[in-house]
Amino acid sequence: MGKHASAKVTTVTVTPRQALWLELMAFYTHEAWLLDERKFKEWLDLFTDDVLYFMPRRKNVLRREAHREVTPLGDLSLIEDDRRYLEMRVARLETGMAWGEDPPSRTRHLIGNLVAEPLSKGEVKAKTAFLVYRSHLETDHQLLAGSREDVLRRVNGAWKIAKRTVLLDANVLLDKNLSIFL
Amino acid sequence: MGATQKYSIIDPATGKIDRGIFSDQAVYDQEMEKIFGRAWLMIGHESLVPKVNDFFHTYMGEDPVILTRDGQGRLHALLNMCRHRGNRVVRCDDGNATRFMCTYHGWTYGSDGKLEHVAGMSEAYYDALDKPSLGLVQARVDTYAGIVFATWAEDAPSLEAFLGDARWYLDTVFNRRDGGMQALGPMKWLEPVNWKTMVDNCSDNYHVPTTHLSSARVQTRYLGRPPLSHKDQFESPNKHVFVNGHSLTFREAPDNTPRYVHGISKDTFPLFQAYHEATLPEVERRLGAFRARHVQLGNHSIFPNGVLGFRLALPRGPLQTEFWHFVLLEKDAPEALKHAIRIGSQANNGAAGLFEQDDVDNWRQVTAASKSRLGRRISQDLSMGLGHAGAHPEYPGVVSERYISENNQRLFYQRWEEFMNAESWADIPIAPITARFEGTATLHG
Ligand code: FES
Ligand SMILES: [Fe+2]
Repeated sequence: MGKHASAKVTTVTVTPRQALWLELMAFYTHEAWLLDERKFKEWLDLFTDDVLYFMPRRKNVLRREAHREVTPLGDLSLIEDDRRYLEMRVARLETGMAWGEDPPSRTRHLIGNLVAEPLSKGEVKAKTAFLVYRSHLETDHQLLAGSREDVLRRVNGAWKIAKRTVLLDANVLLDKNLSIFL
Repeated sequence: MGATQKYSIIDPATGKIDRGIFSDQAVYDQEMEKIFGRAWLMIGHESLVPKVNDFFHTYMGEDPVILTRDGQGRLHALLNMCRHRGNRVVRCDDGNATRFMCTYHGWTYGSDGKLEHVAGMSEAYYDALDKPSLGLVQARVDTYAGIVFATWAEDAPSLEAFLGDARWYLDTVFNRRDGGMQALGPMKWLEPVNWKTMVDNCSDNYHVPTTHLSSARVQTRYLGRPPLSHKDQFESPNKHVFVNGHSLTFREAPDNTPRYVHGISKDTFPLFQAYHEATLPEVERRLGAFRARHVQLGNHSIFPNGVLGFRLALPRGPLQTEFWHFVLLEKDAPEALKHAIRIGSQANNGAAGLFEQDDVDNWRQVTAASKSRLGRRISQDLSMGLGHAGAHPEYPGVVSERYISENNQRLFYQRWEEFMNAESWADIPIAPITARFEGTATLHG
């Protein structure tokens, strides 16, 4: 053994909050790869049975009325899916006849700016930002930006998303449809 | 001024149409003038501006328009263009304001459009500015069952005449309840599609079993909805009818079941049936027994760009359309029913809608086909069901014998020609109202 064998081993202590952050960052990186590699059934496994997947609209309102910028649950939204609708979306792609995604889009999900904070009853709130690139058919392409606010809980030891709120940074969506997952 | 250019883009004997109308900038510019500058256009819903001084930002063609309810509760459609240099005076989607101040030099308008205040009226303008003539430009406004329409044309006929007998059918969705409807939305997105293809699609039930096959499959599996096969469509008792520019489909349904909308599933059907039965006496009083029990409006468009319900195809150049999706709910319906309709509507229609996702690439390629050298020389074929439509003893308008037909499309493009070739409204034929409007419902609800 060389002289390095006696080198001092440095132990890095992480706080519980940092440990959570590391764990969730790995979770979101994994999720991004599932989506970009079109493993949608495995992606569905990341959600709880009682999931609410919500994408409100963004309105132009004055700064002093900022509370009206994001449409609340109960208003018309872009997506307000329960588990059954999420499953239908994935099952649809698998029919091989969902023409809007067949041939499929090429996507790249970049997820970052993670902030995680424990809630009560073992649940966790995690906010991330995303840049998602979509390329479809020959030259159609779109860059979608926004944030996701998730409520996660452990089911059989694994993190699952119980609620996801996707805030798209757009008023008029510039893409021809929203046929990819965010 | 030269005579109006005469378009002859459809051969009614063969159903061939000239593809150039989907991509030519010159044709598009004429459409803005001759169609969007003349017709009554759907621009909003009264429920979007319920209180005095509420406003909702909308469009007439490409012209930005503020729908306001003034201090007296009257509706106005105001061109969102300051009369000084032309800045927009409203940049919000909606809100409540007694006046609109232009952010450029501060000219300020009331919610009724009047120019109220000009900075430097005496110091800069020597009191010589004619304020009364410089209010925001206003369109004519009228409503049908809460839906707000506006037109720039002073010589346009009344909204009632413009809708004509189409209203006899439209009432079966929009005018059923005493309490009226409320609009939620819009969800907005930009499609690389000519606006006419979306309108044309409202009477195209031929595409459903092919375009929407995947969604129909999973809906049968998960929600217990019918498969929407070709057989279903070909054997459907539904009909197409064309009235005064408006393309409609309807169901002749003596089975007395609720209208089949997104949101109905095996689980929710009893809720819809119970609501149908509970409201039937009211609907019979309002629309008469025949319409209440036998007629259900299906997919439809209101000329020129009102698409399937209260949804708008807003032209943005020949190759682009901004699509606005709203959902309309009967105000007095039970919350559980409203919830089911809202969820069904937004999950199936709209940018992320299971059904609507699959429409767009088809439509955009129909638009794009008209750009290539060879493509544009080869006409579209709209010959389906030629010679199989006409007057019907019970139903007003031109009724197609079969549900799957291109009669409405042919007549839509003929209507398009009538508008494009007219010097003024005097040249645009309006079909007389012949339907018997039984019941108490009126144009205004
Ligand atoms: S442009 Fe509006 S005040 Fe000058
Ligand atoms: Fe469709």
